[in-house]
Amino acid sequence: MSEDERFDSTVSTTCGYCGVGCRLEAHTRDGRVVSISPAHDGPANEGHTCLKGRFAHQFTRSRERLTTPLIRDGEGFRRASWDEAVALIVSELTRIKTTHGPDAIAGLASSRATNEDCYAMQRLIRAAIGTNNIDNCSRVCHSPTSFAMRRSFGLSGATGSFSDIDHADAAIIIGANPTEAHPVVGARIKQATLRGMRLVTIDPRQTELADYSVLHLAPRPGTNAAVVLGLAHVLVRDDLIDTNFIDQRTEGYDTLIELLHAYEPDAVESITGVAAERIEAAAHVYGEAEDACLLWGLGVTEHKYGSEVVQLICNLALLTGKVGRTGSALLPLRGQNNVQGSSDMGALPDTYTSYRSVEDDEVAASFEAAWGVPLSRRKGLKINEMFDAAVAGELKAMWIFGEDVAQTDPNVAHVTHALESLEFLVCQEIFENATSAFADVILPASAFLEKAGTFTNAERRFQLVAPAIDPPGEAKTDFEIITTISRALGHEMGWSTSAEVMNEIAALTPQYAGVSHERIGRKGLQWPVAADGTDSPMLYEHEFTLPGGRARLAALPYKPPGDAADDEFPLILITGRRLQHYNAGTMTRRTLNLELQDSDWLEIHPADAARLWIKTGDHVSIRSRVGRIETVARVTERIEPGHVFTAFHFPEIRTNLLVGSSVDVNTGCPEYKVVAVDVRPVSEEAARTPALAGI
Amino acid sequence: MRVAVDGREVEVATGATLLEAVRAVGADVPTLCFDERQMPFGACRICLVGVAGAPGPLPACTTPCREGMVIDTHDATSRRVATAIVELVLSELPVAPAAHTELARVAASLEVGEPRWRGATHPSDHDERHPYLAFQHELCISCARCVRACDEVQGAFALTATGRGFTANIAVGLDAGFLESTCVSCGACADSCPTDAITEITLLSL
Repeated sequence: MSEDERFDSTVSTTCGYCGVGCRLEAHTRDGRVVSISPAHDGPANEGHTCLKGRFAHQFTRSRERLTTPLIRDGEGFRRASWDEAVALIVSELTRIKTTHGPDAIAGLASSRATNEDCYAMQRLIRAAIGTNNIDNCSRVCHSPTSFAMRRSFGLSGATGSFSDIDHADAAIIIGANPTEAHPVVGARIKQATLRGMRLVTIDPRQTELADYSVLHLAPRPGTNAAVVLGLAHVLVRDDLIDTNFIDQRTEGYDTLIELLHAYEPDAVESITGVAAERIEAAAHVYGEAEDACLLWGLGVTEHKYGSEVVQLICNLALLTGKVGRTGSALLPLRGQNNVQGSSDMGALPDTYTSYRSVEDDEVAASFEAAWGVPLSRRKGLKINEMFDAAVAGELKAMWIFGEDVAQTDPNVAHVTHALESLEFLVCQEIFENATSAFADVILPASAFLEKAGTFTNAERRFQLVAPAIDPPGEAKTDFEIITTISRALGHEMGWSTSAEVMNEIAALTPQYAGVSHERIGRKGLQWPVAADGTDSPMLYEHEFTLPGGRARLAALPYKPPGDAADDEFPLILITGRRLQHYNAGTMTRRTLNLELQDSDWLEIHPADAARLWIKTGDHVSIRSRVGRIETVARVTERIEPGHVFTAFHFPEIRTNLLVGSSVDVNTGCPEYKVVAVDVRPVSEEAARTPALAGI
Repeated sequence: MRVAVDGREVEVATGATLLEAVRAVGADVPTLCFDERQMPFGACRICLVGVAGAPGPLPACTTPCREGMVIDTHDATSRRVATAIVELVLSELPVAPAAHTELARVAASLEVGEPRWRGATHPSDHDERHPYLAFQHELCISCARCVRACDEVQGAFALTATGRGFTANIAVGLDAGFLESTCVSCGACADSCPTDAITEITLLSL
């Protein structure tokens, strides 16, 4: 029931767009969501939300929603019953498993789905199929953050909460544009600067927050490591470090100092293009602050050495002792609503819940005991390795749930080749998309407003998700789909509600021991959660979660990115988000947000534009080493000469055709942020038909 | 420090307002221009309370507590003034506020019905050019909650108070509508508005 006479019901839930984790009140009338307002007690949003969370819910009632299972029929699809679809999936997966072994099958869980959905999916792949070939889309965004924070500090998550921003005297934001990509945190940062927080932005683009910063550094794409090493050099040189903290709580200082000698500001300037005095000034803003936060986004991670740069960022906090107390937090801005949780839940090829290795016999044995089946001790394939294995003919079947890999993953031509090479592809989606075009079975699933469970936001906070409306037609919740098919495959999971899934997760995972839906309530729980329900808004107050309790300072030198401008491809393309849209645009393009922004454009500096005879509104061709697309130019001084920028929300533009196969050295996260391109005007209307290089 | 509200003593932090003290003991005074997400503004004078020794009613939302203050939320003068203000506010509106609005709830709590004074009312002035946000200027009571939501919560600075007296209202950007302003469509203004002057397009037909 609702107190408001206009609504039939009001349901408190958690936003399904970005990783901020705004708590929402979804108001319904006649079985539809008619309005969404922010929950005033939402810990991350405190009564605020953005135009995506508040307004972009119309997609739930789009006529294009999948409402019945679809089975391939020649070039197209035919409608099918659930019984028929499930039977086909079971017979095909069984056939492939019998013929080629369980490792010929792989699954992708989704960072858009709930913790319970992701946990169920990894259990299905591990227990019902018998392989560790399970991954999720955090692979392509923040897997380097997860890897690096585990290396440097011990745990894979923010060290504090967004509220630390309110208590910080200074902050550095690297490779993130929160006022567009994480608008509620962006607004919070902006308000903090208006109250006097000294902000340093480091980004090749002049972002909106750069206008509110005391200092904006615009390094060449791919040179973040040099910038951060330069900051560390100045912190040490000018004695802005906390030697007590370094002595008592870290290791690796001596090795780091030797490395830092080489990163004098002048040397850093020649690598990054950032003036030496600006590096020095930025280090002083951070080093002189009593409390300061470090925030970063995909502009740090989506690089060949992204996971190393995150470790170098952690160094800054360790050198100055700015971690583990109010106002001094490291806050990675997680891209999707459940990027944190999908990985926490073990939807990864090398780890069970809370990042415990599949090679750890004791951990694997605990899951074997709970699930009653033997489990593989061999690491599975990462997303990019799955595609390679499919092309090589080793991977025969995939089950992709809530991810449009053919639009959002890099090197689209390669992904397409992989999908075509599979014998059997299941897509579990709310809409048909570029990936489902290759499917053998498409299962109609549910959106976040239609299901129950939990998401974990960028502050490590479990928050409840509750259904405001029913899935359309015969569409089912992901929980129901996965448990039904697992049962049909002969592995009964034994749950009837998502709350029971969480109870199993808590029982098998010491770090989440005290988590239950009841305890999460309206205020959430930030992991680790002790058995008595005590949660952890702040990490590392007294010790780090590494052997000896000491954090590791990383001595990692700058290395050039995987792609570089040359005579043929003289400009560097960076990609990112726009305020009005969200990732592949599957949801936001089916709302009136399209009226606020109906197409994309290429941002180019006036100097480059003049040289290429391009003006705002001109159609341009963008060609990289692997593909070519067309779009419209917008000349702007908010980007540096030599760089161009576009988003990836519009399938007709297919930006990711341009991105090659370079990936992070440790995690396989694609290098979306450095692509050498050639831009030139095209005389006629943009073809809107993407072309591949050499075709 | 300690203060007393309606005879109940309560410990409050230095800098706490009378309104915080009132809420701390579980009592209530109606508010209209107050929004917990924004800095106290003190524009509407609905939250008036009596304070022992004060020459007249004081606004609870902006007045800081002092040691030993004796606060009376039932003070007759305060309620009479607040009621008259709400009645005057209602008298300028061309239609009664919808039942779900904060203004309607405040009027009900003060038992203000049909205003006794029937003078000029604001002429209808609707702007529905934005895909989500509707502005019904005739319902604006100039409480400035939308302006403060835009400034203090979002930081888009798209809204401005304009005009004086009876013509006081809110302009979006250079009065050319949301789409032609620095608005980022976050909807914080609509969420805070106590009269539906700014609301969602889809809610207009419900």
